[in-house]
Amino acid sequence: MDKKLEELKTEYKNIQIPDELDLVVERALLKSKKKKNGYKWLAGAAAAAVLFIGGLNISPAMASSLAEMPVVGSIVKVLTFTEYKVDKEKYQADIKVPAVSDLENGDLAQSLNDKYLKEGKELYDEFMLEVKELEDNGGGHLGVDSGYEVKTDNEQILSIGRYVVNTVASSSTIMKYDTIDKKNQILLSLPMLFTDESYVNTISENIKEQMREQMKADENIIYWVSGAGLEDEDLTELFETINKEQNFYINNEGKLVISFDKYEVAPGYMGVVEFIIPTEVILDILVSDEYIH
Amino acid sequence: MGKKSRWNQDEVFTNFIRENKENFYRLAYSYVKNSEDALDIVQDSIHKAIVSIDSLQDLKTLKSWFYRIVVNTSLDFLRKHKRVSIVDAETMEFISSGNEDQYENIDLERALDHLAPEYKSIIVLRFFEDMKIDEVADVLNENVNTIKTRLYKALKLLQIELKDEMIKGAN
Repeated sequence: MDKKLEELKTEYKNIQIPDELDLVVERALLKSKKKKNGYKWLAGAAAAAVLFIGGLNISPAMASSLAEMPVVGSIVKVLTFTEYKVDKEKYQADIKVPAVSDLENGDLAQSLNDKYLKEGKELYDEFMLEVKELEDNGGGHLGVDSGYEVKTDNEQILSIGRYVVNTVASSSTIMKYDTIDKKNQILLSLPMLFTDESYVNTISENIKEQMREQMKADENIIYWVSGAGLEDEDLTELFETINKEQNFYINNEGKLVISFDKYEVAPGYMGVVEFIIPTEVILDILVSDEYIH
Repeated sequence: MGKKSRWNQDEVFTNFIRENKENFYRLAYSYVKNSEDALDIVQDSIHKAIVSIDSLQDLKTLKSWFYRIVVNTSLDFLRKHKRVSIVDAETMEFISSGNEDQYENIDLERALDHLAPEYKSIIVLRFFEDMKIDEVADVLNENVNTIKTRLYKALKLLQIELKDEMIKGAN
């Protein structure tokens, strides 16, 4: 081979492989497999929480991590119920489990809190299992960070968003929302906001439009959507429609916000993405303008 | 597709990724030139591949299919970050006309990096990843003649002369 080409090839073959590559690849393979089988994380609520409710009163460590979030102008509160922490050199986990309190509807509060606890515990167990697997395979770095944020809190609506961030060399993020009607003390779901199922289509089409517009306006933005000049349209799973129970919340302005996890509709660097649906687009199919206006 | 073949496909895919991960990393790195971004591209590529693996008709095309994902993900990344400085053929010839005889390593590397991506991809896949010309054509989704023409041009720009067999990749 030509000498110059030989030199270039040597340079290329000498590109150093970082230690993290193994983990990034294994993580990607694992994560994707999970995605295919559906996230365990979203499994329904059960009574697994009973054990830990005792823990709140007994353990001083647990009790001290109980930080209250002030919520102005309403009695419903969101607070950190318990926290799982692992802080070792190579492994870090910080899982904050929220709880809602002072909801008059005790059943609703109970079922939400049970769900939060169960999922927090599962996340912790899963993390410890991964640590063990990693140890058995020679060790490495692993991190998980989970917590919550109050997205909206006004007279009518309380929206709590919970996130899970897995960190290795790069990270993945899952977001999950619960939106409560404080006046009527009910948990809102996407289907119940609309008169029929046509919302799936209406909202999806609007999101696709927004995606294309954003991509046109800013070449740094990429969504996996058709008709936007993607390089590898045939290779990518393009966004078609939202799920009936797509992640959503209602923001302070009374607008419907649809949320997608990292990788759900866009490359990793786009992170978690949200779309505000203009109310006039869905006005005709809303059950009422009580929540969304 | 039956359960058995589904399982096989996953198994084959996972092994393929594990065995060649360093190649994918180098390929990504050759575009983005830094470790963190290259790792991100490897991760994104695996993810893309898994969500769309059902569109893969034949496992025999797995290699070119996955390489195509890595190349496209890298190019998308470059477009987003605008780190690529594309120099057209004439400018390139002008730049390189001054020092025709001895290239220092560093100049040579820069010359390669200054090639437009469609030329650079061919050089990397054909000579560094040791693919045959029709494999390169598969990866880049172009016909063999287009690839050949571009390869000649790329070599000319790099002032490298090769025998014809070298270009095609003998069996």
